[in-house]
Amino acid sequence: MDPASTSKSEQPDSHTRRYDRQLRLWAASGQQALELSRVLVISGSATSTSILKNLVLPGIGQFTILDSARVTPQDAGNNFFLHRDSIGKSRAEESVRFLLELNDSVKGTADTSDLASILDERPQYLKSFTLVIAHNLRELTLKKLSSILWGDISGPPLIVVRSAGFLAEFSIQFHEHTIMDSHTDDIPSYRLDNAFPALAKHALDLDFDALDVTDHAHIPYFVILVRALHDWKQAHGGKAPEYKQLKDFKAQILRMKKKEDEENFDEAITQVFKAYQKTTVPSEIRALFSNPSCVNLDESSSPFFVMLHALDLFTRKEPYTLPLSPKLPDIKSDTVNYIHLQGLYKAQANAEKAEFTRILEEVVAKAGVAPVPSSVIDEFVRNCHQLKILKGKQWDQDDNSALLEAIATNPAQVGTHLALSALFAFEAAHKRWPLPGSEADLAVAQEWIDAKLSAAGWNEESVVQDDGTQVDEAATGPQSLTFREHVSNAMGEIIRAPTADLPTTAALLGGFIAQEAIKLITRQYVPINGVCVIDLISSTTGTIKI
Amino acid sequence: MSQIPTANADWPERYYHLDQILDRPGPRTDEAFPAGDQVKEFLREGCKILVIGAGGLGCEILANLALSGFKDIHVIDMDTIDISNLNRQFLFRPKDVGKPKATVAAAFVMDRVPGVKVTPYYGKIQDKDDDYYMQFNLVICGLDSIEARRWMNATLVGMADPDVPETIKPLIDGGTEGFKGQARVIIPGLSSCYECSLDMLNKQTAFPICTIANTPRQPEHCIEWASVLEWPRIKGDLKLDTDDPDHISWLYGVASARAQEFKIEGVTWSLTQGVVKNIIPAIASTNAIIAASCCTEALKIATTSAPYLDNYFMLIGTEGVYSFTFQHERKPDYLIVEEFLDWLLEKQDIQAKKPSLSYGNTPIYLQAPPQLEQATRKNLQRKVSEIVPAGNEITVTSVSLPFSLTLKVEYV
Repeated sequence: MDPASTSKSEQPDSHTRRYDRQLRLWAASGQQALELSRVLVISGSATSTSILKNLVLPGIGQFTILDSARVTPQDAGNNFFLHRDSIGKSRAEESVRFLLELNDSVKGTADTSDLASILDERPQYLKSFTLVIAHNLRELTLKKLSSILWGDISGPPLIVVRSAGFLAEFSIQFHEHTIMDSHTDDIPSYRLDNAFPALAKHALDLDFDALDVTDHAHIPYFVILVRALHDWKQAHGGKAPEYKQLKDFKAQILRMKKKEDEENFDEAITQVFKAYQKTTVPSEIRALFSNPSCVNLDESSSPFFVMLHALDLFTRKEPYTLPLSPKLPDIKSDTVNYIHLQGLYKAQANAEKAEFTRILEEVVAKAGVAPVPSSVIDEFVRNCHQLKILKGKQWDQDDNSALLEAIATNPAQVGTHLALSALFAFEAAHKRWPLPGSEADLAVAQEWIDAKLSAAGWNEESVVQDDGTQVDEAATGPQSLTFREHVSNAMGEIIRAPTADLPTTAALLGGFIAQEAIKLITRQYVPINGVCVIDLISSTTGTIKI
Repeated sequence: MSQIPTANADWPERYYHLDQILDRPGPRTDEAFPAGDQVKEFLREGCKILVIGAGGLGCEILANLALSGFKDIHVIDMDTIDISNLNRQFLFRPKDVGKPKATVAAAFVMDRVPGVKVTPYYGKIQDKDDDYYMQFNLVICGLDSIEARRWMNATLVGMADPDVPETIKPLIDGGTEGFKGQARVIIPGLSSCYECSLDMLNKQTAFPICTIANTPRQPEHCIEWASVLEWPRIKGDLKLDTDDPDHISWLYGVASARAQEFKIEGVTWSLTQGVVKNIIPAIASTNAIIAASCCTEALKIATTSAPYLDNYFMLIGTEGVYSFTFQHERKPDYLIVEEFLDWLLEKQDIQAKKPSLSYGNTPIYLQAPPQLEQATRKNLQRKVSEIVPAGNEITVTSVSLPFSLTLKVEYV
């Protein structure tokens, strides 16, 4: 056999080769979601094009830049996707042209319409997008945009980005975000405490004593634990070991050794919790079952909730667990024993997936929704121990008690958030931006913050923290500063550079927002839920829930 | 020869955004900040910066520096462009595949950002000597190789003379993996350096050879068998080139056959390539964050417009945005003698008052008599590791100790 000639056809095509380094993160399913997405970015600022660069490169389907402005000499100085020769031309058209050079398979549109008239006359324009991103949009327009998008429950999520000089923040407006593959490190249960029949039979039929020393040292620890638990129960009136009996249980396992250096038995000791921890439906997953979208299905229900509903039904029957995961970790063993064990798990997992699919078909028929493709069922079942639902809120609906709590835990982040809010409130009130370095404008902005804080019920005394409050030291930096000092530092910094879209800050935001956009579009990994505040003077970030 | 562009290439309002932070200080800016023309002149005419690596981070770093007003940028990279670079290394196009990264990146940046001079070097960092590195004010590393980082770090630490400030070249280092990354600032000889944090690296998975040879269980075991054992056995002296798709195909075929024999599932071409090349997933967005973070620090160091990172920024973007900014501490091998003495005085169980230190017959620091104290005082600021090789002993003598104490020194 010449292996090289038989496998030539297996070499990846150019699409796979181009995207190899990212397919190893979000796989073909994530890539497909990206390639079907349509992203609207409002304004052709340096930050906006930096965000788009990081979405065009991994291959989103289509993007639109909505911007009626012409390129100024200032724009040509801080934006890598404009050139000196672009000055005077349409900013949307010029930046789309430069961005499209990055990836032939992406489509881009420059829309020079006026956003205000779109919002007034044809808001349905927004509905055609998967995601809307807005950078440094004026307060009143942003309010209108966010409320239109919030008003349509099936409309796209909105990422709001604000920045000035070294300071920035962003948040995502969505009603609810469901995640099938959250890529957390949570490990599914292998059900060693309650072995499925084929596994139990294998462990009990195996004659440990008859094995020679080599084979004995190759018994996978899964099998050792199932057997040890069985033997314990026999000797203890059918009861599993309690926590305080753990020492005795471990001693029993060690007595099963034939030789001192059998590593498989040592592995069984370190993994002993898998045998006595009762397999149940994890509380985080059980909590999802009471979500109204899961309880009340109708023909508009998404596949996620239809499957979640079926999962709830699945767990109400014997053995009252999630479907078994087919994927085993590596275990000290030899090939034959390991592959046999893997076979037992695959067979059981397939049987349970078939049962889940049967339940799902009934649910689908009853709800009147479209059948779920089997590849999606596979992904759902494989990841069912780490499903997530994020509950979002409308942009700019700050809740006062949450604000006070955030001041106690993340004073630096709240300071920056208030200073950025004051900047945009200033523009809304005065129809102009503050002047760089202006003491008068600083005083006006500071007054706005004071009013906001007193409306929220904050006063100097509330600085004293309750004992239960945890200060997030990693995010706040030097603890010697009071909240007042954080606010005045941030406000001073904003007035220093109120209209500066620094190339480095823009590039950093470009990375952060694109990461979040990819998480939203692929429904993999977990996006932020709150306001992520960035301070490039202290080189810190922190997410506040307000 | 000297074609460093002058302000003539600029146009009015070009630096409208940057000038807002350069024309006046902010509340946290150091008092010595020379706001206005002085700082702009240094940044745009006087500052010379070196970028190591023109790959995922390097492309981003070069573009950021050029837009930030650095006009004399040098870049070193020994690699050529591969198609798998194009999902993130945004200065390269399909037509550039096979060309040197440094050269293509430099030309692109100079074309897009008028008046910036980017000088490429297509080769190894080890080709250059101390004189070459001495010409720069700052060095930024965007590398994926630990070895290259260690070399660069050691070179800059070796060049640093605490008495001659110009010899201290701040090193800014970035690295990414998937949605995670880190950026750090190293002030050679003064702060924690790359060697101090080697223990923070993830160890590469190594499979025991007996598993590979006798008891394979995972597809990776079959792939290792093909590359580590079968390739040399069958191909003899032919060196395995992990960039050659035909070589990967051969390994894939051999690994697949072995997997089939042992009924192991999951050997694919992509996994084969990933295992033998030790591929680390990489995306544009994470590179953008880390490169921007490095360049923000470069801008802050070059202009003193804001305090720079002291000294480590770590990012995890998989669940929300989690970052941690902290001061990574120097490892004891960079203890200076004075710090070692302080440590000794704090040790209750040693109870040494006014201890004197020596290494064999060589005095390190003597408390008395005054002439010898004065003669050895300069050693207080030297690194312990410069004086005492690892595994050797420092002798401590003290009036409060009835005997002389020897301490064995190990550097971890």
